[in-house]
Amino acid sequence: MDPLRGLDESSTDDDAASQTTEDDPQVPERQEPAPPPPPAQPVPTPGSARERPHYELRHTMRGHTSSISAVKFSPDGTFLASCSNDKVVKIWSPFTGELIRNLNGHTKGLSDITWSSDSVYLASASDDQTIRIWDVDSGLTTRTLRGHSSFVFCVNYNTSSTLLVSGGCEGDVRIWNTSKGKCIKTIHAHLDYVTAVHFNRDASLIVSCALDGLIRIWNTSSGQCLKTLAEGHDAICQHVQFSPNSKYILSTAHDSRIRLWDYQTSRCLKTYEGHRNEKYCIAACFSVTGGKWIVSGSEDNKVYLWDLQSREIVQVLEGHTDVVVAVATHPEQNMIASASMESDLTIRIWADRRT
Amino acid sequence: MNGVLSDPFTISYPTAVQTSLNSGASFAKFDPSGNYVAGGRPDGSAVVWDLDTRAPIRWLEGHVKAVTSVECVAASSCFGFWSRNSRYVLTSSKDWNVIIWDLASDTDPVRRRATVRFDAPVVCASFHPRNSQIVLVLLSPGDAYLVDLRKQCRSRVELCEIQEESDDEGQGRARSAMTVVRFDPTGRYIFAGTSVGSVLVFNTRTKTMVARHKISGAGIIRGLDFAKGGRRLVTNSSDRTLRQFNLPVYTASTVEGEYIEQELEPTYRFNDPINKNAWHAMAYSPDGEWLAGGAADNASHKIYIWDLANEGQFATALDGGPEPLLHVHWHPKKPSIVSTTNVGNILVWHCPTPERWGAFAGGFEEVDENVEYEEREDEFDIEDESEIALRKQKAEDEEIDVECLIEDPSSKLAVHAQRIADDDEDIVWAAEEPDDDLPGWRMKVMIDDDLDAV
Repeated sequence: MDPLRGLDESSTDDDAASQTTEDDPQVPERQEPAPPPPPAQPVPTPGSARERPHYELRHTMRGHTSSISAVKFSPDGTFLASCSNDKVVKIWSPFTGELIRNLNGHTKGLSDITWSSDSVYLASASDDQTIRIWDVDSGLTTRTLRGHSSFVFCVNYNTSSTLLVSGGCEGDVRIWNTSKGKCIKTIHAHLDYVTAVHFNRDASLIVSCALDGLIRIWNTSSGQCLKTLAEGHDAICQHVQFSPNSKYILSTAHDSRIRLWDYQTSRCLKTYEGHRNEKYCIAACFSVTGGKWIVSGSEDNKVYLWDLQSREIVQVLEGHTDVVVAVATHPEQNMIASASMESDLTIRIWADRRT
Repeated sequence: MNGVLSDPFTISYPTAVQTSLNSGASFAKFDPSGNYVAGGRPDGSAVVWDLDTRAPIRWLEGHVKAVTSVECVAASSCFGFWSRNSRYVLTSSKDWNVIIWDLASDTDPVRRRATVRFDAPVVCASFHPRNSQIVLVLLSPGDAYLVDLRKQCRSRVELCEIQEESDDEGQGRARSAMTVVRFDPTGRYIFAGTSVGSVLVFNTRTKTMVARHKISGAGIIRGLDFAKGGRRLVTNSSDRTLRQFNLPVYTASTVEGEYIEQELEPTYRFNDPINKNAWHAMAYSPDGEWLAGGAADNASHKIYIWDLANEGQFATALDGGPEPLLHVHWHPKKPSIVSTTNVGNILVWHCPTPERWGAFAGGFEEVDENVEYEEREDEFDIEDESEIALRKQKAEDEEIDVECLIEDPSSKLAVHAQRIADDDEDIVWAAEEPDDDLPGWRMKVMIDDDLDAV
C-alpha cells in the first residue's frame, strides 16, 4: 500500500473529526473534557525507527447495555461495528462517534463480528447458535447460517469474501459459502470452546485456537490439520490471528503474554508482556498504519501498545473503567477502537494526535 | 503459501479428481489467479465457477443457442478466455459474435464491455496477454483477424499469409486455411496453425508475417500451446502426435514482406503407442516441466502426463472415468488440472496429501521407520534458568516483518520479464491505452436471492 496515501487521508479526515468532537450529540453524558486541539506538529514519516505513539481519546460511545465482545473497523475505514451480549450489533462512525445503525435480530448475545472486504456485509456470531450475514446499508439480515450445535464464538471472512469460517463452543470449525449461506465443511477441530478462527491472506489456511490450549492450522480446501502449536505450559490461548502478510501468528494467552509465532518452524519469535490477562478472552491486533505496534486490551482496564520489534510498552491508554476485551485498529489511519465490559460499556476511539 | 506446510514431497502433477462441477461445459479454463474456472457450454452460455466454494458465481448468457452436435462442441462452441487480472472474460460462438464480459460489474446479469460481430462463425478468440482491448479472432473459413478496440487505433486487420511468388503454379494454389491462432505468452507474436501442416508467425504490432515453419508429417494443425516463457511450443495435429519445439528468436524484419522460412524439428514427439489415440487438447504445467495431453478416446477419460525435465518420458495416465474427455487446462500455479467431459462435467484434478495424524499433536513428528535417537551434546546439561531466559530475550530481538508478502519466485521472474519488456516497442505498443484490468480488483460476492433467505 502506498504509505503516503494513508497519510494524506488521515490528515484531512482529522480536520472533520476535531470539528465534530466539540459538540457530539450522541454522547451527551460523556465525562471527559474535549481533547485539546492537536498541536501543530510536522507529520512524522510513518514507520521511522523507535517512534513512540501518541494516542489520545477522541470519542467515547455509549449505547450497549451489556458487555461488549468485539469491535471491528470496516475495511474501507468508514464504519466501526461493535457487538455485545445485549444481542445488538451497532454500526458507528469512528470519525464523529455517532451511532449510525442498530442491527437487530439475534435472540441471544453476540461474541464476534467480521466485515466482508467490500464493507457491504457484516457477519455476526451469536449464542443463539447462528451466524447472521447483514447488509449493513439496509440493516437487514441477508442470510442466517445454521449448523452449529452450540454457541458460535468466533467468525471470520476470507479476503475475497466468498467464505466464512466460524468456531463454536462444541469444538467445531465450520466453513460456509457466503453467497448460498450453506455450510461447506465441518471440522471437528478441538475438544473445547473454539475461541478464535482466522483465514490467511489467500484463504488457503485457517488458524484456530480453543480453550483446550492448542493452536491448530488447517488446510481450507481439504480440512486437514497441518500443524498444532502447543504453548508448552499451562497457558490457555484465547485469540489467534495471522499477521498482515500471513507469515506469522499472533496469539494471546491466559499467562498474560502475547506471542508472535513463526508457524512454519513452530517457533515463538516475540513475547509481549506487561498487561494482565488471566480470565477473559482478550483480543490483540497489529497496528501497521504508522509505527508498527501490537495493541491489546487488559484486565487492569487499560489498553497497551507494544513496539512490535523491541517488545517494549510504548503507550498505555487509560480511561476505561472495566476490563478491556476488544480492540481494533483502523485500516488506514492511526486510530484504535477499544471496548469494555459490564460496568463501563463504552467504546472509545483513540487517535494519534500527531496525524 | 499453503504449500510450505502441506507438501511433504514434491510431486508436481495432479493424481486424483478432487471434485466434479456439473456445469454443462465443454471447455473449461482457469483464470490467471487460479481462483476461478470459466466453462463454455454448447448452448452458447458460459459459467464462472469459484473454486473456493466450488459453486457457480456468474452466468454469461449472450450467445444465441447455436450448437447442435457433439462434434461441433468439440470444434467450437464457446471459448472462455481470461484477461490477465481476470476482470474480463471473452466468449466466442458460432453465432458470429465475440462478447467481452466485465466481471467487475456488480449487476446480474454481468455487463458486457463489448460485443464484436463478424460475418462468419467464430472458431476461437483470445485476448492479447497485456491488453484485453486487443483481440485475436479466427473465423470459420480459416481467416484470422486482429481486432483492436482501443480508441486511438481502432482497427480490424486480417492476418495474411505471404505466398511464395516465384513458382507460377502457386497462383492457382488455394490459400491454406488457418485452423488455430494463439498469442504467444509475451503477446509479441501471433502463432497460427494451418490445414497444410505449417505454423505461421505474425508480429502483433505490424501484423505482418515474420516466419513460416513447415512441420513435416503433421497434417492439419489442431492446437497450439506455449510453455510459460514462450520459448517452447507444442502442437497437436491430425497425425495423432503432439510435437514440442524450441522456438527460434524472431527479429523484427526490416524489409517489407521478408520472413523466415524454416522447418522446425521437434525436440519431442508424444503419441499413444497402443491405442493410437488422437488428442483433443494439451497443456503445460506452470513450471514447464510437465505436459498433459487429453486423449480423444470415445470410451474413456484419459489424461497422459509426460515428464519434460526427464527427456519427455511418459509419467502416468490419469483415468477420469467413463465420460470422454474434451479439453484440459493446467492451473496457472498449482499441480491441478481441469478437464471437461462430453456430458458437461468439469473435473478438477488435484494432488491429494495424506492426512498426517502427527499434525494434531504439537511438537510431534511422524517417522516412517524407527530412528536411532542421538542426543545432542548439550541436551541434558543443567543450565542456569536466568541464562536461558536471557538467551531467549536475545533471540527475540531479531527484527521481523509482518507486512511484506512472501516473495513468490515466479512473480519475481515475471517482474524481471516485465522490465526487459519495457524496452520493447512491441510491448510498448500493446501497453498504450491500457485497459482497466488492474491487479487487486475483487469480484463482488452476490448473495443468492432465490434461496430461502432468513
